[in-house]
Amino acid sequence: MNDLCTDIGYISLAKYGEQLCGDHVDIIHKDDGTTVVVLADGLGSGVKACILSTLTSKIISSMINNGMSIEECNATIAATLPVCSERQLAYSTFTVFHSLLQSEEVEIIQFDNPFVILLREGEFFEFPKTKIEIQEKIIYCSRIPVQEGDIFILMSDGAVHAGVGKILNFGWKREDIIQYMKPLSVVGYTAKTLTRILIDECSRLYEEKPRDDTTVCTIRIRKREPMNLLIGPPSNKDDDIKMMSLFFSKAGKHIICGGTTAKIASEYLQKPVIPSFNYIDPAIPPVGHIEGVDLVTEGVITINRVLQYAQNYLTDNDFFADWNFKKDAASLISCMLFEEATDINFFVGKAVNPAHQNPDLPITFSIKMQLIDELVLCLEQMGKRIKVSYF
Amino acid sequence: MIIVICIGSSCHLKGAQRVVEKLQMLVIENQLENKVILNGSFCMGNCTKGVCVQIGEMIYSVSPESVETFFQNEVLHAVQR
Ligand code: FES
Repeated sequence: MNDLCTDIGYISLAKYGEQLCGDHVDIIHKDDGTTVVVLADGLGSGVKACILSTLTSKIISSMINNGMSIEECNATIAATLPVCSERQLAYSTFTVFHSLLQSEEVEIIQFDNPFVILLREGEFFEFPKTKIEIQEKIIYCSRIPVQEGDIFILMSDGAVHAGVGKILNFGWKREDIIQYMKPLSVVGYTAKTLTRILIDECSRLYEEKPRDDTTVCTIRIRKREPMNLLIGPPSNKDDDIKMMSLFFSKAGKHIICGGTTAKIASEYLQKPVIPSFNYIDPAIPPVGHIEGVDLVTEGVITINRVLQYAQNYLTDNDFFADWNFKKDAASLISCMLFEEATDINFFVGKAVNPAHQNPDLPITFSIKMQLIDELVLCLEQMGKRIKVSYF
Repeated sequence: MIIVICIGSSCHLKGAQRVVEKLQMLVIENQLENKVILNGSFCMGNCTKGVCVQIGEMIYSVSPESVETFFQNEVLHAVQR
């Protein structure tokens, strides 16, 4: 039974006055479901620190991903990192999170960052660490079984120093972060949201002027959640039934986008399509309803909005409050795809809708295909496993 | 009387939402809530003529600007008879 996966979110703040952040997070997802996350904090700040941490995190993540040991990683880093001319040092801290979800375990390797926090069922959970010494570096290794709902918080030291000498005398300690995050860990927030909450608090303690590069990376262990989205009628009318039966045989929720597509589904299921006039957002056509389908929406206009939300999600995510709370079709799809789903099957019909080839209207077949391609790309960047089938 | 308004993609872009809103208003203003039912439909296959509004077998092409005239001619007439 391997139905666990990781939901990862991270945010970095650069030290006040610096353009570049000296912390770096690198993530590798493998097809077999294993994930490697490395958070590195380079010595100093600005460009130098950024180079050190980027190199360190990239080297470690790809080496661990290829099955190499931490000793080998360390040797490579030592041989590769450029030595700082001022300090005669090549140095970057790192925290490695390696999920081996086949065995429902994770491996954690820590060097000089604040210790990883594990919250389990709303409580702080202390996990055993083995101390090893490699080339004068003290490294802590752990291997722990995980369960659904576990939340791991990786940080750079900027997070624990937040507020030093300003709002708080000694900054907030790791213990304070634990207390702060404990009640939030059971609400069901995604990793991205938890990260945002914690980083916002750090930023507030720094009075919006971080005195050190600050990075938080949250990893939530969750169940895989399949989702299926059908858009467009098949190019060959004879494939209607084939497409529908494949779509409806899939586990997970089912979303249908497009009026014509909804009609085909309604014939297949022998249930009527019931449209509504509920214009929550005047720009987005209202949702419809077919018994046996979780969500029925219009096609291109709605997906176009979903794509805008997806692109925004990957950058500053300031539309989050819109789609997370509103109930229009595009917001509903966004919640289902970005938050609920971990594995998404797209069923894309390539029929050219004669209705849409009207020169007055900005919808063409190629635009629809392009929208889907771009959306798939965004979802992959969110760490979703995507399969697209064309009909 | 049942009036079906297309809310498909093309008709949406041509202002289906405003047509729906205006029709809803007109029905209330004329106190026809018991006589006229407004329904939505996905694409009626007549996009070039959007916004498509169907009464019985007839499909009319209505724009947000022409809703009132349409309502006078096709709806009020028919129900008042
Ligand atoms: S969208 Fe209204 S007829 Fe096609």
